[in-house]
Amino acid sequence: MRAAYPDTAGTLERDGTRLGYEIYGGGEPTLLLLPTWTIVHTRFWKMQIPYLARHYRVITYDGPGNGRSDRILDPERYTSDAYAADALAVLDECHAESAVVAGLSLGAQYGVALATMAPERVSGLIMIGPALPLTPQSHERSSIAERFPEPYPDDVSGWGKYNLAYWHDHYADFVEFFFSQCFSEPHSTKPIEDAVGWALETDSHVLGAQSTHPGPEPDWAMKLASLRCPTLVIHGTHDRIQPYERGAKAARLSGGTLLTMEGSGHIPNARDPVKVNLAIRDFIERLPT
Amino acid sequence: MRALEPSHTATVASRDVAINYEVYENSGPTILLIPPSPITHSRIYKAQVPFLARHYRVVTFDGRGNGRSGRPVGASRHGREENVADILAVLNASETEKAVLVAHCHANWWAIDLAAAHPDRVVGLVAISPGIPYLGRPHEHWSEVAPRWRSHLENPTGWDLFNREVIVTGLERWVGFFFESQLVEPHSTKQLEDAVSWALETTGEILADSEEAQDLDLPTRQEIASQVAALDKPVLVIHGDRDVCQHVDKGRAFAEAVSGEFQLVADAGHLVAGRDPVKVNHLIEQFVDATTGVKMKSRTWSRGLGRKKKALYISSPIGLGHARRDLAIVEELRHVEPDLQVDWLAQDPVTQVLDQAGESIHPASRWLASESGHIASEASGHDLHCFQALRRMDEILLANFMLFQEVVEEGAYDLIVADEAWDVDHFWHENPELKRGSHVWLTDFVGFIPMPEGGPEEAYLTTDYNAEMIEHIARFPRIRDRAIFVGNPDDIYPETFGDGLPKIRDWTEDHFAFSGYITGFTPPDADEVAGIRHDLGFEDGEKVCVVTVGGSGVGQDLLEKVIAAYPMAKAQMPELRMIAVAGPRIEPESLPTHPGLEIHGYVDRLYRHLSVCDLAVVQGGLTTTMELAAAGRPFLYFPLRNHFEQNFHVRHRLGQYGAGTYMDYSATEPEALADAIVTHVGEKVDYRPVETDGAARAAAMIAELI
Repeated sequence: MRAAYPDTAGTLERDGTRLGYEIYGGGEPTLLLLPTWTIVHTRFWKMQIPYLARHYRVITYDGPGNGRSDRILDPERYTSDAYAADALAVLDECHAESAVVAGLSLGAQYGVALATMAPERVSGLIMIGPALPLTPQSHERSSIAERFPEPYPDDVSGWGKYNLAYWHDHYADFVEFFFSQCFSEPHSTKPIEDAVGWALETDSHVLGAQSTHPGPEPDWAMKLASLRCPTLVIHGTHDRIQPYERGAKAARLSGGTLLTMEGSGHIPNARDPVKVNLAIRDFIERLPT
Repeated sequence: MRALEPSHTATVASRDVAINYEVYENSGPTILLIPPSPITHSRIYKAQVPFLARHYRVVTFDGRGNGRSGRPVGASRHGREENVADILAVLNASETEKAVLVAHCHANWWAIDLAAAHPDRVVGLVAISPGIPYLGRPHEHWSEVAPRWRSHLENPTGWDLFNREVIVTGLERWVGFFFESQLVEPHSTKQLEDAVSWALETTGEILADSEEAQDLDLPTRQEIASQVAALDKPVLVIHGDRDVCQHVDKGRAFAEAVSGEFQLVADAGHLVAGRDPVKVNHLIEQFVDATTGVKMKSRTWSRGLGRKKKALYISSPIGLGHARRDLAIVEELRHVEPDLQVDWLAQDPVTQVLDQAGESIHPASRWLASESGHIASEASGHDLHCFQALRRMDEILLANFMLFQEVVEEGAYDLIVADEAWDVDHFWHENPELKRGSHVWLTDFVGFIPMPEGGPEEAYLTTDYNAEMIEHIARFPRIRDRAIFVGNPDDIYPETFGDGLPKIRDWTEDHFAFSGYITGFTPPDADEVAGIRHDLGFEDGEKVCVVTVGGSGVGQDLLEKVIAAYPMAKAQMPELRMIAVAGPRIEPESLPTHPGLEIHGYVDRLYRHLSVCDLAVVQGGLTTTMELAAAGRPFLYFPLRNHFEQNFHVRHRLGQYGAGTYMDYSATEPEALADAIVTHVGEKVDYRPVETDGAARAAAMIAELI
């Protein structure tokens, strides 16, 4: 059983893709919880929704490729601008003139893209463990993109499993490895189980399509510096997916507030939900009225 | 002493009246605090200013007719227009482009007037106990007495004191009744004294004129309705539901009319900002931050299991004795918990001792308002009324509590040790939802005792303070996780807390654990005494009398009296040598000199002198006298006049150890003092031994909580 069920659940179609969305609660302002890497779907916000929906109108939706959205295989459908356009369509569908927007990891890219595309629709932006390539990647993950399309060796281990062919052959094993890295905190069995379960609702082909970058990387530093809305960055110091320095820099560039979570991994909203929930609430309450 | 002095103060002429204003400079939005003149002045916000000024720029002023502003006479000079013009003049003179307004009672009427006429100058309004004409139901007592305003009444009482003749001829009768009626909360003696004294700074004539001015210039219902409708600023109304000046319905109606937030304070009266300052301060802070979009500060949160154990130690800065015993406790605590991080929230002179010991002083300590400075400012001659001094320290204690609370909210401390940190213990009981970490309360005395010369009035006050403390602990046993009495049950003064209250000893035994006394040092044995005497240059056959009066300026009178006695004593006993320590606040050059008398400003490790002297002459403070008791030295002690702790608690405790000779300062002439010196110098003493394991016992009790 869930702790909270949506007041409205529907689907909308944008550019030929059906997206499932949900609306919880009716308070002010509206809070849009963005999708992230489509390895998981909207349930990764499960520890936020019941609390925040008691105070705000919370909109969530599944990005293309997982949950109740179409399993699209076209890489163009997974660019940050495509995600921003999806988010706008969701806001329109829900008659939200503007919203506070929150994104985890890649979701931070989608949030920045949305705030750049439609600044008047974003009254505040929360980025958790942002996947914004503003500082070098960790040593272990520094060359995974180049090796991604290559064949994988027999004795593959660790981040070598970040490999398309390996995904096709051993998707579940990759997923388990990946989330063990996301949750670097001790005693994380349940969040890992959850995330693995959601990952198994999609497949290696969908994930492969999203992870094949079709175009050049946008200039994230410039986009962050030109944001007009207040920002909050939440980043764990033990984040093995996106180095903590990236979040710190994103906060600096956007003139925002940084909440450093000492000892936290990549998905603190699942592992330390109380602190993250309170920080989100605090941020929203302080937004100019 | 105030908790915080303004950055600058000035006057501005407004319609030929000098309006005094004060500015507390800071970055960030400006808060303008508007007093309901002329019944009070800017000091009504004394509990708000130090806290708000740490976060924002704050401007206060005295309205016309009170404080340091002019005293115009005549109703025509106390109208709404004049008061609004004054506010605008203060905004202009203080170069405040716009401000968040905080207004109390009828000053809210002026605030919305200002917002209507100058919307660009007003960011928002915090309306405390507001009364706007036509909005909400007024109390009936006002309309009942209004027709008799100009009548001559025989022996009026109660609300009939709201009468021109009474107010003009006997202002104190009206304001005494009025504020006593407003302070519905128990234990409000200090707030009542403050409110009445501020009101008595104006005259009855001016107060009566100002009351009449309200009717001269009464806005129409339509005017108020249109002003309120046009007010598109954020508004927060704070109102007590037992307000007998402005009915709580008036606050609620105002909040509804302007679509503002309404904060009811249940069980509170009209003077809620003074009586529940912690809550009101936090409400203002939240409102200002939300209204002005003050950015959240970047910060770090650590996962629970990854945290190092942390303690915050608050050592009372009044006297140095606490610092030494607290260091001894921490040292023992580290034996039990070697990895414990201890931060000290402390101020001068405690910080000097902590610095020497290499302890970590929390950086917020620099914001603490000076408690020792206040105590020094309250002393005169050999006299310190320490109960009244503590009462008058209310705004300093509050300012320091507000800071403390921020420190504990950010610091994630497991343990808070408060050694006579009155602010922490009192305001956590007043605001129990704010408690963080485990709280250890340490004290070496329990119970305020009235000085006999204070008469029944002082007995009433000490009883009231004791009763509040007893009620606090009965209602919220969860606030003190451990209460430690630094001493033994026999040390407790054998009296009651006051009429109708329990015996101090019974109650304390029920509510405290006992650590025994904590000296913070081990007294020297006979061989060591000889060695130290030799090191210090004490000659064989010489009788050395050490005189010390502590670190404050309070000791000058005692020092002079002892010096005057010296030649007479020396005449009786040629081998007598006297070493007098003036301390940092007394100029040694200001004291007379005699052969055989040495006067020092400062003596390194004074405790060594005290532990080997043939006689000490000291004040009645616990630390020094118990040091002498522990070292087994004869001593004469002179409790400060009106100092209940020295006169009752310490004297009783010394009696338990059979230590020292009590002396009454005012009854002791230099001749008698000389005789006492000669009688007691070098005397063999037979004191009960002072325990040496107190620090370890206290540390063991504290360690259980971490």
